[in-house]
Amino acid sequence: MREYAFFLGCIAPNRYPGAESASYKTAEKLGIKLLDLEGASCCPAPGAFGSIDLNVWYAMAARNLVLAEQMKKDIALICNGCYKSIWEVNHKLKHHKELREGVNEVLKGIDMEFKGTIDVWHLAELFYDPAIVGVQKIRDSVKVPLTGTRIAVHYGCHLMKPRKERHFGTTEHPTWMEEMVAALGAEPVEYRNKMLCCGAGGGVRGYDLVHSLDITNEKMINLMEAKVDALTEVCPFCQLQFDRGQIEIQEKFGVSYNLPVLHYCELLGLAQGMTPQELALDLHGISCEPFLKKVL
Amino acid sequence: MAEKEWKPQILGIICNWCSYAGADLAGSARTQYPPDIRIVRVMCTGRVDPLFIMKAFIDGADGVLVSGCHFGDCHYLEGNYKAAKRMFILKSLLKNIGLEDKRLRMTFVSASEGAKWAVVVKDVVDTVTSLGPSPLKEFGH
Amino acid sequence: MAEKKTKKEPAAKKETKKAAAKAAAPATAAPAASPEKALGKDARVGVYICHCGTNIAGSVDIPAVQEYVKTLPNVAHVDNYQYMCSTPGQKKIEDDIKEHKLTGIVVAACSPRLHEPTFRTATKTGGLNPFRFEMANIREQGSWVHMHDREGATSKAKDAIRIAVAKASLLQDLVPKSVPVEKAAMVVGAGVAGMQAALDLANAGIKTYLIEKNPTIGGRMSQLDKTFPTLDCSQCILTPKMVDVGRNPNIELMTYAEVAEVEGYIGNFDVTIRRKARGVLTPAEAEAKGIVGGGCNGCGDCDAVCPVIKPNPFEMGMKPRKAIYIYHPQVVPLIYTVDFDSCVKCGLCVEACGDKKAIDLEMKDELVKVKVGTAVLALGYEMFPIEKKEEWGYKKYENVVNSLEFERLICASGPTGGHLVRPSDGKTPMKVAFLLCAGSRDNTGVGKPYCSRFCCMYSLKHAHQIIEKIPGCQPYLFYMDIRSFGKMYEEFYYRIQDEGAKFMRGRVANVLEDPVTKNLIINAEDTLLNRPINLEVDMVVLAAAVQPSEDTDRTRKLFGVSKSMDGWLLEAHPKLNPCGTTTAGVFLAGVCQGPKDIPDTVASAEGAASAASIPIHMGEVELEPYFAQCIEEKCAGCGMCVNLCPYQALSLVEKDGRKVMQVTEAKCKGCGTCGGFCPGGAIWMQHFATPQIVAQIDAFLLGGEQ
Repeated sequence: MREYAFFLGCIAPNRYPGAESASYKTAEKLGIKLLDLEGASCCPAPGAFGSIDLNVWYAMAARNLVLAEQMKKDIALICNGCYKSIWEVNHKLKHHKELREGVNEVLKGIDMEFKGTIDVWHLAELFYDPAIVGVQKIRDSVKVPLTGTRIAVHYGCHLMKPRKERHFGTTEHPTWMEEMVAALGAEPVEYRNKMLCCGAGGGVRGYDLVHSLDITNEKMINLMEAKVDALTEVCPFCQLQFDRGQIEIQEKFGVSYNLPVLHYCELLGLAQGMTPQELALDLHGISCEPFLKKVL
Repeated sequence: MAEKEWKPQILGIICNWCSYAGADLAGSARTQYPPDIRIVRVMCTGRVDPLFIMKAFIDGADGVLVSGCHFGDCHYLEGNYKAAKRMFILKSLLKNIGLEDKRLRMTFVSASEGAKWAVVVKDVVDTVTSLGPSPLKEFGH
Repeated sequence: MAEKKTKKEPAAKKETKKAAAKAAAPATAAPAASPEKALGKDARVGVYICHCGTNIAGSVDIPAVQEYVKTLPNVAHVDNYQYMCSTPGQKKIEDDIKEHKLTGIVVAACSPRLHEPTFRTATKTGGLNPFRFEMANIREQGSWVHMHDREGATSKAKDAIRIAVAKASLLQDLVPKSVPVEKAAMVVGAGVAGMQAALDLANAGIKTYLIEKNPTIGGRMSQLDKTFPTLDCSQCILTPKMVDVGRNPNIELMTYAEVAEVEGYIGNFDVTIRRKARGVLTPAEAEAKGIVGGGCNGCGDCDAVCPVIKPNPFEMGMKPRKAIYIYHPQVVPLIYTVDFDSCVKCGLCVEACGDKKAIDLEMKDELVKVKVGTAVLALGYEMFPIEKKEEWGYKKYENVVNSLEFERLICASGPTGGHLVRPSDGKTPMKVAFLLCAGSRDNTGVGKPYCSRFCCMYSLKHAHQIIEKIPGCQPYLFYMDIRSFGKMYEEFYYRIQDEGAKFMRGRVANVLEDPVTKNLIINAEDTLLNRPINLEVDMVVLAAAVQPSEDTDRTRKLFGVSKSMDGWLLEAHPKLNPCGTTTAGVFLAGVCQGPKDIPDTVASAEGAASAASIPIHMGEVELEPYFAQCIEEKCAGCGMCVNLCPYQALSLVEKDGRKVMQVTEAKCKGCGTCGGFCPGGAIWMQHFATPQIVAQIDAFLLGGEQ
C-alpha cells in the first residue's frame, strides 16, 4: 500500500466533510493510504494570499511542504486551490535557488528548512495514473454502478493551468476525468464551454460575489442545456461555488437549477458502496436526492 | 587590491562558419557582454589541436572556450564532433594535472545565435572569474 | 605539388624571442626542414586602424591603440583612418606597401566576414600576395559589444591587433586554386520559386535539373484559388509556367524524386538523386524499353478501375484519390503515380492500361547521379500544425479549418466545386470568422515567434471571396495588425473594408463548439473598443503560421546550409546577399529562406537563378587555398588522418621506401580536422598553420602589456 501525507485543506473538512471521509475510504480501497499531516495550516489560498503578498504565500505553503518532508512522504490532496499553492510552491522552490534561500530565511524562525525532497499530487491524478491506480482498478472497485446517469465534469482552472507548469498535456480538451466517470458506470457528458472557470477562484468570490455568480450562472445554463443529472469536480472550492452558489443565484438572480454537485471522491464512494449518510451528502446546499434516486 | 582588479584572460578559438558568425551577429545586434575574451578564428573546430589549448594554459590562460557549429550543422560535415571528442578527453587530462576542467569549455553557437553567444561568453567569464587565476600562471612566467 | 613544397622550404630555422614559450610546448616547436622555418623572418607589418565613423571610435580610444601598436614587434607602420574600406583608405594600404616595404597587412576594423575580400584586393593591388593580409575584428567583436566599456573595448582592441600582427608576421604567399565550373545547375523544389529559377537558368542557356518530391510540379501556389491583390486565378497564371517547365529543352524535370547525397564543391557538385518508384513509365521510358507507342499518356483508365481509395493530399484530404493517381487534371508531367504504400497489387490497372504497358508494379527506387556547378534550394513551406494551439479547436471541431483547406473549399476545381460548405453538415455558412496570426507572432513557445507575412493578405482575399460568392455571408476578421505592405495591398485592404468585412483587433482567446449545432463561439477582446467579444459563427478559418517544409532539414544538411533560429534557411547576408548561403555555389529561392508572398517569391527565385548562373558563365571559380599539406619529414605514415578526413582527400603513398600522407587538393576543403589531430604535427594547414595559431596564442597571453 502506497502512503501519502494527506493535505486536507480548509473547505473540505469545514463544509463538505463527506469529501474528506470519502477520500480516505475510497483511496484505501484503491491501495492508497492517506496519512494525517499533523500541524498543517491553510495551503494558503492562492488567490486570497498570493495576490496580496507572494512571500507570505510561499512561506506558508513551504511550511506545509516541510511537514511532509519531515514525514518523508509525498503529499496527496483533493483541492485544486491547495494544488495550486502546494504543488506550485514546491515546483518553484525546487527550481529557483534565490527564492528557496529567501523562503528558508523565513522558515529559519521556526527551525524549519525546505529541502525539496518530496512531490505533490492531486488524489485524482493518482487515481488516474495506471502506474498507481488506473481506470481499470477504479472500475473493478465499483459495487454500485452509476448506470443510467449523465454526469458532467468540471476540471477547474488551478489544476490544469498554466499549461507550461503542469503535466496534464492538453488544457483545452482534457478527457481523463471523463474516463474516470465512465469507469463508475455513468455516462460522461460534454457541454458547452466545459473549461470555463467555476467563478470563485482567484479571490473573485470574495471580492465580487455577483460577478463570480455571473460566471457560475453561465456554467449552469450550459449544464442545463446538456441535460445532466449531476456535476462532478475535484475541488471543494469549485464545489462550494456550484453547490452553495446555486442558492445564491436563486437569491440574486431568481433562477433555480437544483443540480447536484459531487466531489469525485464522493461519487466514487457512492459507486464503491458508501451510504449517503457516510458521505454526509445531506450537508450539501443542493439536495442530491434526485440523483441518488436514479442510482440507488 | 591587485586581486580585486584581476580580470581573467580567456582565449576563444571559434569556427568561421557558425560561432564566429554568431559572434558577429551579437555585434550587429549590439548585444553587450564582458570584454574578457580574445578570439582566434579557425575555419572549423576540427582544426583545434589539443596542444593549442595546453599551450594557452601553459602561457597562463585562465580559461579556454572552443565554440563550433551545432552537431549536424558543421560546414565540414563532422569537424565539430571530432573537436568535441578531443575536448572531452582533454578535460579529463586537465583534471589529472590538477587544473579545474571547467576552465575549458566547448559550446555550440550557430550563425544565427548572436544572443546565445553573448550568454555563453558571459557564462564562461563568470565561471572562470569564480575559479580565480589559473594555478599554472606562475609556471608560464 | 613537389614544386610548391620546395618553394616553401628554404632557409634555416631560426627561433624568435618566443623560444622559451615554444619550448614549453614541444610538439609545436618545429624540427628542421619544415615549411615553417622561413616564416616571420624580417617581417614588416603595416597596421591600419579604422574609426568606422564613430562605430569604432565611439568606444575605442584610437590614438591610444595606435601608440600601443607602434611598440609591437614587427610593426613597421601604423595608421588610422575614418573609413578604411573607402577608396582613400584602401589607397593608404596600396601606397604604404611600397613605401614601407611591408610584408604583411593588418586592418583593425569590422569582421573579416565582411571586408576581408576588400582588403585582400587592396593588398594585392599594392603588390603583395593577397593572403599576406589579416584582419583584427574590433567592431562586431569589439566596440559594438562593449559600447559602454571604453577601457575594456580599447584593451580588447589592442590585444586583437597584437594577435593579428603575430599572425600577419608569419603569413605566406598562397595561390588560390582555379577550378572549372560544370555548365549545369540544379534546382531543388518545383513550386513557383523553383519553377521560376529553373526557367531563368534554362533560358540563360544552362542545363538545369529540376527536382521535385511530389508527383507533379506547381507546389503550394497550385493549391490556391485566387491571388491577392489582383484576384488572378492562381492556376490560370501558374499552369502556363508549368507547361513551359515541362517543355523547356534545357530543363530536365525529375518529379517524385529527392536529393539523396551531395558531394563536391562549387563548380563540381556530384549529386545523387533518388527517383522514387513511381510504378508508371513515361512514354520515353517505355520507348527505351522497346515498348512502341507505350508509356503513360494520362488517360486515366487505370484510375477508373483501381479499387483502393485514399485521401488526396493535394485537396488537403477532402477529396478521394485512388492508389494510382494524379493530384489534379493539370499536373505536369501528366503521368500517373502508384502509391505503393496503399496499392494491393491486384493488377486491374495493368489490365486496363493494356498495350501501353505503362504500369510496372514491381518498380524499385532508382539512384541517378548528376554533376552540376551550382544549386538553388527552393524547398518551400508547410502549414504549422495549428492543432497545437488547442484553444482554437482545430481537428477537434469539424467547422474549424485552416486557410489552405479553405482555399480548396472555395476553389472551383476543389472538392466542393467552389461551393463553400461547412464540413459538419454541408450547409453554406453565413458567418465566417478568420483568425489571423494563428500560431504566428506567438511567444508562448507553442507557435512561431515570426510573422508569416502573407496571412493578412490572403485572409482579406478570403473575406472578399465569401462576400462575392455567398450573398449575405458575413466575414469577421480577428487580427493583431493588418500588414498590407506590398504594392496595391493597402488599397486592397480598404476595398475589403468597404465591401463590408468586419475587423476586430484582438487575438482570439478561445473557440468553443456548441455540441448540438456545431456552431462555434468565439471569445475575444476587441482591444480598440476595450470590450469582450462573444460571437457565434458558422465556421472558423485559422490563418495558420507557415513553417519550413518537412524535408528542409534533411536537404539543407546535404548541401551544408545553415538554418536561422526560426528554422528557415540562413542566407549569406540578410540584406546584401539574401539569396546566397555560406556554402559557395548554393543559393536560396522562395519561402525556404523566410515567409514570402508570391511576388517576393518569384523575385527571390529570379535573384537566386541570376546568382547561380554567374559562376557557370564565368566558367571557373577560385577556391580559397586553405589546403592541408604534408610535412613529409615529420609524417610517420600512421594513416590516422586518412580516416578522419570527411572528404577522402588524404591517402597514404609510398615515397622513398616509406609511407607518407598525400593530399588531393581538389578534394580538400581546408577544415583542418587532420591538422588538429596529427600526432606528429606533420600536417601544414595553409593560412591556419600550427606556428601561426600558436603565435596568436602566445601573442595574446605572453605579449601583452605587463
